[in-house]
Amino acid sequence: MSAGGTLALAAVESLGATALGWPFVGEAADWEFVLRNADYLGAGALLTIGLTIGSILLGFLVGFPAGAVEVYGDGYLERAVNAAGIVLRGTPIVVILIVMYFVVGVPQINLGVASISSAVTAGILGLGLRSAAYQSQIFRAALSSVDAGQLEAGRSIGLSRFEAVRYVVVPQALRRSIPGFQNEFTIVLKDTSIVFAIGLAELLTRGYDLFSEQTTAVLEVILFISAIYFVLTFTTNRALDYLGGRYAIPEGESA
Amino acid sequence: MSDGDFLSVTDVSKWYGDEQVLHDVSFEMDRGDVTVLIGPSGSGKSTMLRCVNRLAEAQKGSIRLDGDEVLSPDIDVDDLRREVGMVFQGFNLFAHLTAAGNVALGPRRVLGLSEADARERAADQLERVGLADQLDSYPAELSGGQQQRVGIARALAMEPKLMLFDEPTSALDPELIGEVLEVMHGLVDEGMTMLVVTHEMSFAREVADEIVFLDEGHVVERGPPEQLFERPEKERTGRFLERIASHD
Repeated sequence: MSAGGTLALAAVESLGATALGWPFVGEAADWEFVLRNADYLGAGALLTIGLTIGSILLGFLVGFPAGAVEVYGDGYLERAVNAAGIVLRGTPIVVILIVMYFVVGVPQINLGVASISSAVTAGILGLGLRSAAYQSQIFRAALSSVDAGQLEAGRSIGLSRFEAVRYVVVPQALRRSIPGFQNEFTIVLKDTSIVFAIGLAELLTRGYDLFSEQTTAVLEVILFISAIYFVLTFTTNRALDYLGGRYAIPEGESA
Repeated sequence: MSDGDFLSVTDVSKWYGDEQVLHDVSFEMDRGDVTVLIGPSGSGKSTMLRCVNRLAEAQKGSIRLDGDEVLSPDIDVDDLRREVGMVFQGFNLFAHLTAAGNVALGPRRVLGLSEADARERAADQLERVGLADQLDSYPAELSGGQQQRVGIARALAMEPKLMLFDEPTSALDPELIGEVLEVMHGLVDEGMTMLVVTHEMSFAREVADEIVFLDEGHVVERGPPEQLFERPEKERTGRFLERIASHD
């Protein structure tokens, strides 16, 4: 047997021989433990989803205009946006979150029916601004990839520069952004776990808490939360695939 | 010869960096005239055309269009362009819009027509270029000749007073050139004022009121087609026409 094979076998054995027996993996008691705590993990999943949606939305609202400024802007604004992007992309996300929470000290937000804690606000701001820095690059590349003749043709019928970008270039660039956006969504979803640094317990942190409590259930807990992550990424990616297909520009054979 | 009461281009010069690409170019057009710019590639004819709707900026000279100085810094270029249609060598159709969407965009967003009125105008213009049955086709679903006819309809939908054609058939397969020239012939018959850059010499000969021969940014010679084609005064003109003819 090769060295790699021996290593793999050793790894499997270290998970416990029973872990690979019927019912497929794990001990019944450990699965019961996971299911008993499903509510606890579910609450973590909700926080993960909330952080992801909030961050992706903020990232889009800030990142899209930022990408457009990087392509079409000039002067101080373009330089400021460019510099902010470099700083955000170059700073570890833990540092960004800690700065948001402990240094900037964002307040709690009251929405009447519910309130968002200052830690969650800081998490969304930190993850969202960093996502904006990456999304701006997705849009920048997509805007730049649209042939210059498109903008020129728009100008030739009397559209202003802004209108030509708005009605001609942006609709095409958004379509081309979808694959990059799918990546970014998946990355943000998984990076939400880093909010543990500011005391928030989302899905992964809660999973860690659980298997620390019942150490025989490591595999079961990890499989359970992985399945949740998988469902979230899979459904969202399929939804974006559908959107991409729905708005795809038809291509003929004659072209 | 025209007295230039509609378009008068006077001593237009343009540089790209240190390189001068137009040298004191002058010509005139009356309303309803068809002027064809010919010349070897790199002679500046497309650049000259683009200076008329300010897609390129001339640094010196004057272009008066219907009483207005096009090169004035005070002119609203968007207003200028809504009155001057442009047809591109590479079609440049809006890739995400149908044929009707391409033609309707200007009337909708620039002229402020309602969605329905813009759509109706688009249908009328596409019928005018023989594409009444392709309203909902996307550019990529159309042949090159059809795409260029949509390009012409898109420009016509703004009801321009001057049409600029920048090598409208140069990107087309030979068998598709005819349908585009036919549409252009139709516009000539309707009395459209047209400034055309083309290598289609037989088209130029048939429809042009004046031919302007440009070489290395200079107007070498200009005149009515029968004179310029049959009895060119300059040796350079003759050499160019011989070279072109050997390709026909």
